[in-house]
Amino acid sequence: MKALQRVGLRPRGRGLWAAVALAALAAGVVVPRVAEAAKVKGLLANFRYLENAVWKDALDPKKRGFSFREPVPTVRADLRKLFPHIPKEVCVAAIAGEKQKAPKPILIRIGGGRTTPVTLVVPPGTQLQFLNTDPFKHRLYGVDVQSFQPGDTARGATRDWTVPAAGRFEIRDKLAPSLRFYVVAEPNVVQSVYPNLKGEFQFGNLPDGEYTLQAYFGGDKVGPAKPVKVEGGDLDLSKEPIKVAPDPKKDDKKPEEKKAN
Amino acid sequence: MVLSRFWYVVVALVLGAAAYVLFLATSMYDRAGARAMGEALNSDMQVVTWYLKDDARMRAGQLIKFAASEDIQKGLAKASESEDKVPREARDKVQAELTKVNAQIDEDLKFDAVFAVDQHGRVVARIGYDQASGMEDFELGGYPVVADALHGYVRDDTLVLDRVYRVVGRPVEFDTSSLPAGAIIGARMVDERFTRELSQRTGAAVAFYANGERVAAGAPEGFDRAQLDQIVADLDDVQSEEDYSVKGRSKVRTINGMLGVIYARLPGESWELGAGYAVGRLPNAVGTPLGFFNRADDKDKAAVKLPIVGGVVLLAAALGLIFSFIEHTRPLQLFRAEAQRMAKGEADQLAPSKFRGIYRKIASDLNDGVDHVAAKGGAPRKAADLGKVLGDLPAQPQMSAFSFPGDASVSGVEASVPSAPSHPKPAAPGPARPKPKPPGAQDDEPGANSPPPKRPGPPPRPSAAPDEAEQEAAEWQRVFEEFVATKQQCGENVEGFTYEKFEQTLIKNKDTLVKRHGAKRVKFSVYVKDGKAALKASPIKE
Repeated sequence: MKALQRVGLRPRGRGLWAAVALAALAAGVVVPRVAEAAKVKGLLANFRYLENAVWKDALDPKKRGFSFREPVPTVRADLRKLFPHIPKEVCVAAIAGEKQKAPKPILIRIGGGRTTPVTLVVPPGTQLQFLNTDPFKHRLYGVDVQSFQPGDTARGATRDWTVPAAGRFEIRDKLAPSLRFYVVAEPNVVQSVYPNLKGEFQFGNLPDGEYTLQAYFGGDKVGPAKPVKVEGGDLDLSKEPIKVAPDPKKDDKKPEEKKAN
Repeated sequence: MVLSRFWYVVVALVLGAAAYVLFLATSMYDRAGARAMGEALNSDMQVVTWYLKDDARMRAGQLIKFAASEDIQKGLAKASESEDKVPREARDKVQAELTKVNAQIDEDLKFDAVFAVDQHGRVVARIGYDQASGMEDFELGGYPVVADALHGYVRDDTLVLDRVYRVVGRPVEFDTSSLPAGAIIGARMVDERFTRELSQRTGAAVAFYANGERVAAGAPEGFDRAQLDQIVADLDDVQSEEDYSVKGRSKVRTINGMLGVIYARLPGESWELGAGYAVGRLPNAVGTPLGFFNRADDKDKAAVKLPIVGGVVLLAAALGLIFSFIEHTRPLQLFRAEAQRMAKGEADQLAPSKFRGIYRKIASDLNDGVDHVAAKGGAPRKAADLGKVLGDLPAQPQMSAFSFPGDASVSGVEASVPSAPSHPKPAAPGPARPKPKPPGAQDDEPGANSPPPKRPGPPPRPSAAPDEAEQEAAEWQRVFEEFVATKQQCGENVEGFTYEKFEQTLIKNKDTLVKRHGAKRVKFSVYVKDGKAALKASPIKE
């Protein structure tokens, strides 16, 4: 399996792993697997039917996002869809049955017209540290978030913000309309991971217990919640992929089949 | 007088009309200039819009050269396979190929920056954009134009980063059965060079703005580029214009009453950031009628039909001079000649009938004045030449005729009544004759029934029998009434025509005829001559 990116959320009393994960995310490198922890592997399906809201909005004629836009005929039509870059945009969270303590600060990189990651699921009280990796300033603000007013972040500078409460938060940039960052504050979240381009994901060190795996995209839940019970051994859920979006072809057929019947 | 005064009015009216036409022409010219400016601005805006789109398309076409490079395809495919880090080998290969291909692009179509982006949005290699030097994790994957290119579309965009960039992107394919290996992104900085080229090729004065500031401006020769700096002050206002915010293009706006401007929002991500461009023009206006002189060039001046202008001037001057000669110079000369004659002693009085208008009144007044002076004992004057006063007298004492040439338009018959000879007048014999009222006089009019003013100093008239005197007075009274009635019938003005003056005239003429012809008395009768009332004097010797 390809390397999996992982955000530093951990069960209580495992701060070392959180720090390693945060540093790994900030550096954009692979989080090393922890041999003694229980591994839970999974697979996301139908993620190509998701649509990036920013890119979709850019196609709105009222927004005049371009003066011309044409498909390249040599690219297959089924690939010419603005599905998200799931390693950054789709987050899979393991949610326990009890509230979790806020982890150490999590680094969020700002650059290239978006944040890395784009969606984050953390317990309330988690401190986020925004690092500007672009060669120009950004002006982040929280949409309807009193504690996150517009403020400049210069090149290489950071800006801190603590998730105030449970809920969904959206962070935008006054100077870069394409930048949208979603924070889901879930009190019971134990760990969040990101899939690779194929949709494969892996939780590296889940302690024994019962969890619910939930995928998030664009700050919202996508796909069904998948209950998981960890009992001292690795789990592989890849045989039953989590469908993060309905299959349009099958959905389209259903009404026709009904008519035929 | 009438002609010249009429001419003055005509000239004044013509001058007024000319001024009116000038102001009218100024307003129409300025309005036409403003309309032409608006049309030109719309044309400029359209041309600039087309240029930007065409330029983006042409540059997008240049990206094919990069996308067709096998090394770039392989390098991006290899980079996309690695989710952790871009392999150094891939970076170097793509970088070398970017440089090589970029050298093959025409200078006019070269980009300021070219980025090779892998499927993860990471910049594998780049040309230009040195701000990103040393940033190994520099990426562009979040921008819609890059995302579109990575998903199989070619398109343009305008990004406002540290500066404003016109950007085009297209996919780079390695395996046509899978997603594009990456994308190639070209960026052209919107700077002074860009706007200068744009202005040279479109002929438009254009300025780009972003974040409330002008970022670049270019203008054709003859247009002060600094004028475009004024758009900054207008940016806040134009944001509230509905056409601008919804349709992306403002109406024609005028800054400081001079500079005409149309604003347009730039397509792309910059649309939401308020970035755009403005085309400007200065109006072709004169402002005031004198402005025509400033704006007219030699060609305009040569087109003026000077012979017609000169002819009008000469005609107007000639008419004025002619009217002036007829109504001022000639009467004055005549008056002067008569006055000179009088001064030389060739005449004791002026002949009012020779003059017109005010000169006639002046002559009459002068004559009256002379009479008054003489009555006060002034220097004796020789007897009046009756031949000139009354015309040729008959050799035999038959009839003599004289008239009271009158001008109905001039008040006072006395003005046209020939003056009496200056020799001493005999005193009126007998009792004072009743003085008839002047026509139209009221009973209570002051002086209407008062006795005539006593003429001081004249010697007494030759004595006559009281009966004759009474008969003569009665006759003269009758003649006076007949004369007044005849004048009224002829439509002449009788206002101020008094019996006293009439009587004095009769006395003078009677004395002259009596002395000349040795007549005993003179009979006066009324007749009509040339449509006017006149008197005939017939000497009677018996």
